[in-house]
Amino acid sequence: MLRRKTARLVMGAAIAVTALWSTTAMAETVRMWTFLNPEGTAPREVALAQIVKDFEAANPDIDVVVEPQVWDQMTPKFLAAHGSGSAPDVIWVVTDFLGDAIQSGSLADLNELLVNNWPEEKKADFKDAYWDLTSVDGKQYGIFTSRNYISLVYRPDLLAEAGINPEDLKTWDDLRAAAEKLTVKDASGNVTRYGFSAAYSEQQADPHPMIPHILASGEPLFHPDGKANFASDAGVKGLEFYTQMIKDGLSPSQAATWTVDDLFEQFASDRIAMIQGSAVRISTLQSKLGKDKVSMSLWPGVEAGKHSPAVMAGWSVGIWSGSKSQEAAAKFVDFMLADPGDKLWTEVGGQIPGMKSTLTELKDFISQPGNEYLSVAATGAAEAGWLSPIEFSVGGYRQALNRATQQVLVEGKDIKAALAEAEEHFNRQNGR
Amino acid sequence: MTSRSTGLLYIVPAFSALLLVLFSPVFYGVWFSLHHIRFGTVGNFVGLRNYSYLLTDPTFSGTISRTVFHTSLSVILTVAISLALALWVHSLPPRRGFLVQMIVIIPWITSTVVATLLFKWVFVSDIGMAMSILRMLNLPDIQFLNDPNSAMGLLIAVSVWKRLGYALIILLAGLKSIPEDYIEAASLDGAGAWQTFQHIILPLLKTPLLLVVIVLTLSNINTVESPLVLTGGGPGSATRILAIDVFDRAFVNYDLASATSLALIMFLCNVLLVLAYVRLSKWKV
Repeated sequence: MLRRKTARLVMGAAIAVTALWSTTAMAETVRMWTFLNPEGTAPREVALAQIVKDFEAANPDIDVVVEPQVWDQMTPKFLAAHGSGSAPDVIWVVTDFLGDAIQSGSLADLNELLVNNWPEEKKADFKDAYWDLTSVDGKQYGIFTSRNYISLVYRPDLLAEAGINPEDLKTWDDLRAAAEKLTVKDASGNVTRYGFSAAYSEQQADPHPMIPHILASGEPLFHPDGKANFASDAGVKGLEFYTQMIKDGLSPSQAATWTVDDLFEQFASDRIAMIQGSAVRISTLQSKLGKDKVSMSLWPGVEAGKHSPAVMAGWSVGIWSGSKSQEAAAKFVDFMLADPGDKLWTEVGGQIPGMKSTLTELKDFISQPGNEYLSVAATGAAEAGWLSPIEFSVGGYRQALNRATQQVLVEGKDIKAALAEAEEHFNRQNGR
Repeated sequence: MTSRSTGLLYIVPAFSALLLVLFSPVFYGVWFSLHHIRFGTVGNFVGLRNYSYLLTDPTFSGTISRTVFHTSLSVILTVAISLALALWVHSLPPRRGFLVQMIVIIPWITSTVVATLLFKWVFVSDIGMAMSILRMLNLPDIQFLNDPNSAMGLLIAVSVWKRLGYALIILLAGLKSIPEDYIEAASLDGAGAWQTFQHIILPLLKTPLLLVVIVLTLSNINTVESPLVLTGGGPGSATRILAIDVFDRAFVNYDLASATSLALIMFLCNVLLVLAYVRLSKWKV
């Protein structure tokens, strides 16, 4: 009796183990590198967690493993991993290194994996400047997500308090005048709130705010041969605009060594009224300050009515050319970036939609108070934006311009000399 | 099988592991540095071109001079302060001496990143504690992290504060190993405190002092966490020392060729320092 019972128990356990093992063995794993952590609480991270959960529920035979990476090192790390054959299946590639990634042969052609199977309406839904950037020689190497528009982010409550209408910030002089009005000192003469700031550390560097000045003048940031063009007259004027604000006490001198995260911390602590900020970080700022306390506008221009182009960036999601799970990866990418992912990124993550249809379908959501920045960024991307070229590597240009700013502020270097040195450093680094 | 071959057989597994973990990355690094690197993969053989590119980099000499300055001042200050502390602790009653040791060791056992962040938040901008103290004393504001000299000073201060505990332990152990008879005899012969220190204690502390100097030098040359967290190498290039230069070349500028070449030059410096220690430790008093 006992032997029969024991035999039944052993057989049952064996069947359970076999069933479990076979289920596990059948599930295919898709590894993805991104800077977002699905365990995190930032809106984009919550959106990603939801997308992964929904995808796995709809596709029980595919396990998605997200491996968060440091954003500014992720793409170089991917290129090194491609060389050693250990890259992830899905990668988020930063715009600055997109050209390198495509030329290295590390990205698979998405036309073969998913785009060719799309209906024409879906292809048209994605087609824009971002789409064209990743389309090279008839192949599609990535689909952009986390589209970033880097422009003026401000505290509408503080502007209203100071009697400033954001729509009146039409020229650079208007911006400076607003910064003067918004700079507040205490009784001892110490500044308790600065009117404007950007971050000029070489670590985790955002594009320099002088770039819109250069682009608005009609000058390119890079020559056709890939050499830097920082020390033009427009470049000198642009850098002078921001260094002078620091010297005049409208911007903090500490910004010379601030990273972007330091800048956002100061902004969220009411220490700065206007900053150069990214559209993708607004949802996080709003979660700290409130939806009605963070807004975005296009950069002013040299003359009223003509906005200066802002740097656009983003993350091109691609599939590793050496992946053994390309089909499963393609399925996940489609889910993540098209339907239903694009809506989740917008509604939960506060991101600019990647599909035109999402922009239309979520019109009511976007027009809600606090979400207008999505429409501003989308308009800016369509009418006043600049994407870094991919024909040649531009890695290091942000750091070079920030280093020039530090040299001007800290060492008292002449602006043109600092920018000329930045050009030389960038050209040397990139073998030009 | 002879006893010699048996002995060799015993050490082969450990030596193989050592070769794999310690030496093979160095050999691979040397091979890597002699080739053109593109997109992280090895291309054509280029000989010493990566090294010549590095040595002709206009920023290289500045990085070397800053590293020498930072390292030598950090080591000198750490040794001087820890020696003074060790002499004081040695003269204290055991319990009090133990308490002081514990307090001094705390920075050493704290994570470097955490320790540097603490320093940063004390000295950062106008909301840090340091600025508040200056204002309370009606002294002019100092932007510690924005001024090249004070930024380097802070970096040295972090280095000294962090490594004081280690130096104290080694020097205290050295002091305790000096026979009391020597000190007594010197005292009986009429030697003063300074003479005793100069002619008896210091020479007998030669070996631990040498160890501390070499280890601190190696540690300071190779440290990347402090400059990375505190200043990022800035402002400008004021605190760009060797280790953070390697980091920036590899992970910020993605220039793996010059990063590897520079890392190997640092490795060579480390080896020379260790050889110097081995050579000098045989020097008789």
